[in-house]
Amino acid sequence: MKMAWKEMQKNKAKFIILGSIIFLVSLLTFIISGLANGLSHDNAGLIKDLPDGHFYMTEDAEEMYNLSTINNGTQEDILMNQENSVALSIQMGFVNDQFDKQRSVAFVTSTDSDLFEQVSSGEIILDRSLEDEGIKVGDTLTHNQSNGTFLVKGFVNQKKYSHTPVAYISTEDYQDIYQTSDMQLIFIPGTENVQQFTGLQAFTNQEFLKTIPSYSAEQMSLNMIVWFLIVISGMLFAIFFYMMNVQKIGLYGILKAIGVKTSTLFQMMWTQMVVITSIALTVSIAGSQIFNSLAPNGMPFSLTIETTLQLSCVFLIIGFVGATLSGFQIKKVEALQAIQQGEM
Amino acid sequence: MDRFTMEKVRKTFTNGETKEDILKGINLSLMEGEVTALVGASGSGKSTLLTIAAGLQSATEGTIQFDGQNIATMKSDQIRKIRASKFGFVFQFAHLVPFLTVKEQLLLMLDIADSKQKKVDKKKEVDRILKLVGMEHRKDSYPTSLSGGEKQRVAIARAIIHKPKVLFADEPTASLDSKRSREVMALLRDITKTYHIATLLVTHDEEMLIFTDRVIKMLDGKILAESN
Repeated sequence: MKMAWKEMQKNKAKFIILGSIIFLVSLLTFIISGLANGLSHDNAGLIKDLPDGHFYMTEDAEEMYNLSTINNGTQEDILMNQENSVALSIQMGFVNDQFDKQRSVAFVTSTDSDLFEQVSSGEIILDRSLEDEGIKVGDTLTHNQSNGTFLVKGFVNQKKYSHTPVAYISTEDYQDIYQTSDMQLIFIPGTENVQQFTGLQAFTNQEFLKTIPSYSAEQMSLNMIVWFLIVISGMLFAIFFYMMNVQKIGLYGILKAIGVKTSTLFQMMWTQMVVITSIALTVSIAGSQIFNSLAPNGMPFSLTIETTLQLSCVFLIIGFVGATLSGFQIKKVEALQAIQQGEM
Repeated sequence: MDRFTMEKVRKTFTNGETKEDILKGINLSLMEGEVTALVGASGSGKSTLLTIAAGLQSATEGTIQFDGQNIATMKSDQIRKIRASKFGFVFQFAHLVPFLTVKEQLLLMLDIADSKQKKVDKKKEVDRILKLVGMEHRKDSYPTSLSGGEKQRVAIARAIIHKPKVLFADEPTASLDSKRSREVMALLRDITKTYHIATLLVTHDEEMLIFTDRVIKMLDGKILAESN
């Protein structure tokens, strides 16, 4: 351990360069991960905040919930027999504010349930992002497809669907706008075995998220970048320690000749890897949390400390693997070969 | 008293179907407090003999007795332990650890040898050995700031700090000028006598033989002559 530390002290520049690269790569990873998480909430906060359970839509909708229409009989039967189950519909639409400015919203209506906001006919509850845009409690909103008006009853936090603020309306108003009394979905909370209902297809929350247009594509691209950066950091370690080990082959040989264990040389390398990564990650975590608190309101960014710590563990593991792979050279070093070489 | 004996040691290198005998049945004993020099032309097998004796490569046949054990049949980790605690090494180049000071090089060797001394005693021992090799004034220097002769003195200090029983020196003066070479050889001889070490030395430089007790001349993998 002492040797590892002494080498780092003596070759500060070399290790600071590696640490800086790891810091930049990890900071970028944390920020992209924060964006992925933020966009995920922005895209499907409505669904992500629900407890684990199962969504049901009709089989003939072919996994497109907006084509699903669950008939009243089936709906009544399930709601009556399944505890806490709720039927709901989601439709993209518009409302006009007092200045007749059109606002995109995702209309959400549901049967009686604690999981979704309940309003009376003629009332509306909106995602708070619309409050930031100037709509206030007590304002009256209009809708072009129906002649009715909506009185703003309140706002809820982080309820978005397909990057659009959610607008909770009553089933009566929904029926009035979309001319249907059939709901699109049924949600049954609970992680027990999935229930089977004739003509309906079940989806877990995660599976349902994937049916949201753009959700999978968006998340896949961002997650791919995150993992790509993690792999790059692993390769950085492998390459850096490979270069260092190549330079030190003679030294390792001599140390082996005078009786140093191969495992001690590996420990030396691992210690350096852990010290550099830990320092780089600590600075990076601090940087990403500062970014988290300073990010503008309009930016969909959400980075929890748990996510950061999980990613940090992945960085450490990848760094360890990278360094270890490059360390196989140490194992191969022959003391004799080093002695016969010139001065290091 | 014999400290180290080699009997009928052979070393054969195989390259495809070709076999080459590098050592052809060597018998050799090393005595306490004696510097034994191996001399001979290049390719005579003297360096191979030294590295086999030091456990850095294995013999094809024969026995190598040290402290009542045949190290020729030991596993690599057992030999490593012996190298760390009972053997000392001085090479043609000092091969010091570039990021450790002179003092730290010696403390490292005590750690490698698994010395049970207290930290304060280790430091005292380091100071004592550095004084012995005339390097106490450079104890906080890094190898890059030392001359060739100084580096070799530190290498000798590192080789004896853990009180080895056998010291192997492979061309220790080859990279030094004649003045420094004589200083280093005199130091090796004095240390061998003072600490009752059995020293095996490979050298090309016949001028250095005045510092040895015994000279073994090798030719084509065999001992040609031995003189005191």
